[in-house]
Amino acid sequence: MSAQQEEMSLDKRLALVSFSKDPEPFIVVDTKLCVECEKKPCLYICPAQVYSWQDQLTYKTEGCMETGACLIVCHKIGAKAISWKYPSGGKGVSFKLG
Amino acid sequence: MTADSSFSIEYESKDPTGSFTSIRAKFDKWLAEQAEKAGASLITDSRVDDLVTEGGRVRGIIAGQDKIPTDAVIACDGTTTSLARRAGLATMLEPEEVSMGMKDVVELPAERIEERFGLEPGEGAAHVFVGDCSGGLRGGGFLYTNKDSLALGMVVGADDTSTKAVPSHTFMDRLRNHRRVQRLIRDGKTIEYDAHMIPEAGPKMLTRPYTGGMLVAGDAAGHLLNNGYTFRGVDMAIVSGVAAAQTILEARKRKDYSAQSLQNYERKLREEPALRDMYTFSKVPRYLRNNRLYNVYPELVCNAAEAVYRVDGNGKRKIYKEIRAQTKGKVSTMSLIRDLLAGARTF
Repeated sequence: MSAQQEEMSLDKRLALVSFSKDPEPFIVVDTKLCVECEKKPCLYICPAQVYSWQDQLTYKTEGCMETGACLIVCHKIGAKAISWKYPSGGKGVSFKLG
Repeated sequence: MTADSSFSIEYESKDPTGSFTSIRAKFDKWLAEQAEKAGASLITDSRVDDLVTEGGRVRGIIAGQDKIPTDAVIACDGTTTSLARRAGLATMLEPEEVSMGMKDVVELPAERIEERFGLEPGEGAAHVFVGDCSGGLRGGGFLYTNKDSLALGMVVGADDTSTKAVPSHTFMDRLRNHRRVQRLIRDGKTIEYDAHMIPEAGPKMLTRPYTGGMLVAGDAAGHLLNNGYTFRGVDMAIVSGVAAAQTILEARKRKDYSAQSLQNYERKLREEPALRDMYTFSKVPRYLRNNRLYNVYPELVCNAAEAVYRVDGNGKRKIYKEIRAQTKGKVSTMSLIRDLLAGARTF
């Protein structure tokens, strides 16, 4: 009897998280600055891969898990391009089972 | 652990009632209900956008269109703490002062958990993993039992994961796919993923945890301890919240919420046994930035154990000699001695 190994991926994980979309942009990135950014730390720190790079920085606020780590790495290692705050009251991520 | 082996130290407490796990979503709700029963008014679904300051002290908060005057604010807005920064108590943290924590909640029936971890009903187990799971970067893994789920997660240094260009979430699969971990979560079903930024700087992340009209508690004040073998934050957040409330009650008697009147808060924090540990282990974060802990030593221990325990008819060295042989070319004797001595002083 061989047990089934559950294969996980980030997409599968994010599908398990409840988000309530905030119409207000609580993450704003001055993406012009990112072009010159050498390390692009936001691409690696974010546990939900909110930030991605295709010729320029793109980001989607819906998946944000609100750790705020992007703000720190962007300002200390990156191009100081990200402004991040918690989503509006009642919006954003909610954890129910952990 | 290495990629394909692991060495464990296990301790079974004679009194397993001291520690427990809780589901935060349930626990926080329960705690809030207790506060309401005691007379507190709870307003959720509202973001605090800014502080009202006047004459060098905090006089209230701004939430959307609302400006709410207060005697005192207790800021508990997490590691990024825009409120403490706004009040001039903190600057933005450095990446090496924070870690990224990620967690899968894996559903598994209670009977399976008890059978697998050798537990009686109501008992639990917690594991900490160090080595291959963090790919040699500062960090480690954890796995602990709830009643009918497991929490499986990784913590990695924000500086390491961003400068070495390894996406933080990839460490989750690195841990999960290790065969030691696979056996523990087998047949489980992942039901939630969450993430949290962890302050590792300790209480020194703030110049002081209070100012006129405001106190800071929890993650926002660095009330967390990761000494490499226990990860604590919730107990410290609770205790600092209680200390903050007591400080405000005392200030209320004096009708004085100035910084001077609130300075007792810091003394309370230092005297509180649960929080004192943060000061006791204050040198740990620096020690844990030694990358040999995450690549050289786990490998060394596992290889030595393999050589010591495997009986293949090729003859054995004594354990001490085996360990010496394993260190050759990987770590100098001086570094090894220095790390051991520093470890003895730090922990």
